[in-house]
Amino acid sequence: MASPLAQFEITTLIPLHVGEYNISFTNSAFFMALSVMAVMVFMVAGMRKGAMVPGRWQLCVEMCYGFVANMLHEAAGRDARKYFPFVFSLFMFILFANLIGMFPYFGFTFTSHIAVTFAMASFVFVGVTLIGLYKHGFKFFTLFVPKGAPLALMPLLVVIELVSYLSRPISLSVRLFANMVAGHTMLKVFGGFVVTLGMLGVVPFAFIVALIGLELLVACLQAYVFTILTCMYLNDALHLH
Amino acid sequence: MPQLDPAVFLPQIFWLFILFGVVYLFIAHSAAPKITEVLERRQDRIASDLQEAEKLQAQAEDARAAYEKALDEARAKATLTVAAKREAIKADVEAEYNKLSASLNKDAAAAEAKIAAAKDKALDEVRIMAADVCKDIILSVSGLELDQKVISASVDSKFNVMKETANG
Repeated sequence: MASPLAQFEITTLIPLHVGEYNISFTNSAFFMALSVMAVMVFMVAGMRKGAMVPGRWQLCVEMCYGFVANMLHEAAGRDARKYFPFVFSLFMFILFANLIGMFPYFGFTFTSHIAVTFAMASFVFVGVTLIGLYKHGFKFFTLFVPKGAPLALMPLLVVIELVSYLSRPISLSVRLFANMVAGHTMLKVFGGFVVTLGMLGVVPFAFIVALIGLELLVACLQAYVFTILTCMYLNDALHLH
Repeated sequence: MPQLDPAVFLPQIFWLFILFGVVYLFIAHSAAPKITEVLERRQDRIASDLQEAEKLQAQAEDARAAYEKALDEARAKATLTVAAKREAIKADVEAEYNKLSASLNKDAAAAEAKIAAAKDKALDEVRIMAADVCKDIILSVSGLELDQKVISASVDSKFNVMKETANG
């Protein structure tokens, strides 16, 4: 039987090389494309009529929009509005990636790859830092100086703040990556038990049913967490505490 | 763990940026504006509907006030009309009553006068008759023929006393 980690294997579908760089189209890229397509179909079909009184599908699209718009507004304020398309794309992309990854047998979850989550988190981190620097200039660095702290402790506190700031992309990416890997590995391990235990396999099977419910929750929750943390970082950059 | 193989990093990151870019451009330039437009249109519609409802309510309120005013006016007018009519009828009744009572009084006076005349006439006849009777009685008893005038005066004085007693 395949290892529980075999599901995370990358297989090349279309080999592509530019110079010495390998940019092959892999199963991971395929599922990214699938997520993008799903987001597009979801929105285009949902908003096709753009009805005054929305149908069920249109209501779903509008609720996603309202959910992210609210989140951004509450976490980062009114002046973060112009970053809404990015935050909305991020949420929908991760959500659909996580949900499509939940398909048994066929699904591949590219958010379970640290390279992908770290790339996204780094992009957010660099982007937010540049926004902060652009908006506040040198004053941006007061973000690392806690207000009202005793002067003697200042060097230590600034170092702590700096380390915590620099560890943001790591915590952001590892959170999503670890949640996805843990959930999918667990499902695979219990799936193996179903096969090896024969008749007694109904016990792990029942467990898997419950676990899939939990994993669906985690899929949505982690998309939410990634997005809300992005909003909070954006808030720090825009308003410096 | 296949995730930690550096060989899988670059192809994934490359396609991630391309495909996320696609979804970002799609959302930023097509989906989000469309949803925003639909939501704003709905918001505007709701606001305008509410405004319209407020206007209509104000109109209804005005109509009600006008109706109430008209009702009050009509009521006041009716009260005035009733009072005027009542006065007119009262005056009519009084006039009619006065007329009738005047005519009745006149009739009663006429009748009384007639009665008085009849009574006087009867008394006169009785007096003349009494004088004649007196004269006849005196003649047959004493054989004296008294002057008519003397008897009449005597009877008249008696009568006048009687009349005064009757009237008084």
